[in-house]
Amino acid sequence: MSLAFRLLLIVGAFAAFYVMIRNIRKSRLQVGDSVFWTLFAILLVLLAVIPEIADFFGHIFGILSTVNLVYLVIITILIYRVFSLTLRISEMDGKLKELARKIALEEADKRNSEKH
Amino acid sequence: MRLLVIIPAYNEEENIARVVNDLRDHYPQYDYVVINDGSRDHTLQVIKDHQFNYVDQPINLGLSATFQTGLQYALNHGYDAVLQFDGDGQHQPQYIQSMMDKMEEGYDIVVGSRFVDKPKPHSLRMFGSNLIGMMTKICTGQTIKDPTSGMRMLSKRIIELLAKDINLGPEPDTIVYLIRCGAKLTEVPVEVKERIAGESYLNITRSIQYMLNVCLNIMLIGWFREKVDLEK
Repeated sequence: MSLAFRLLLIVGAFAAFYVMIRNIRKSRLQVGDSVFWTLFAILLVLLAVIPEIADFFGHIFGILSTVNLVYLVIITILIYRVFSLTLRISEMDGKLKELARKIALEEADKRNSEKH
Repeated sequence: MRLLVIIPAYNEEENIARVVNDLRDHYPQYDYVVINDGSRDHTLQVIKDHQFNYVDQPINLGLSATFQTGLQYALNHGYDAVLQFDGDGQHQPQYIQSMMDKMEEGYDIVVGSRFVDKPKPHSLRMFGSNLIGMMTKICTGQTIKDPTSGMRMLSKRIIELLAKDINLGPEPDTIVYLIRCGAKLTEVPVEVKERIAGESYLNITRSIQYMLNVCLNIMLIGWFREKVDLEK
């Protein structure tokens, strides 16, 4: 990995961390959701500071250029994240429907009991 | 001082009647509210059958949000202090009075501690507890012997602070944050019973997630959070 690319990784990591902290301070991001991004930023810094890690795994998997391994790692992590977010959206979707239905049914019951 | 005992209940059909009946019959001087967190079992039915004072959340929101519902209830009804009390029978109401005595001395947070005068047993869970205790010590200078105890009493100014913030759940990292904001904390010795029925919320994956969450919050993110001046 070139020095410029390693610096880029570090800058990216710190930028991500900064954006996250700002949103936590504004109470827009729940701290629990920030764990992933914190670990992600730490991983990027690790890969940049100790390029031997990427070299080692690149060698094992037969990837000629270490940079490609870094891409692979980032893409894999992001795909996993997208999937876990999809799961969460599905779950929230279900909860929202359940909530709306409950309110609607209760209101109907109330209306009917007022009539009688 | 008016105290509200907040009892979050999620799938506690086997325990909730015993716990609340004990509190209601033997300690009628304390007000309480049971908060059903969208239980999938018959918890709500049991609560209704026994005519407990309750709030029913139609969907499952998790412990943090459920406890916040209790805090909001306390604010709406003008309580001076709240106690977080487990619905599974681990916490014992006979210790409430000694915690209240401490609160009246002017403390903001009174933790019901299992290890004030007793050594900790050696287990993975206690290793986690020690780790959190150590980080608390580093970040605040305060020693908490039982940082993961779920039996905590909070003063009015803490209730007001916690009732709305999405990032201040009833967890050790919130305690660290509050101490750094100037909250006064003390511990009172209590004994805790083993859970009689039902299942604990914490399994291995959840425990690791929990530790990761709490550690990162205390050691890293906590430093960047805006402090609130409690005196205001």
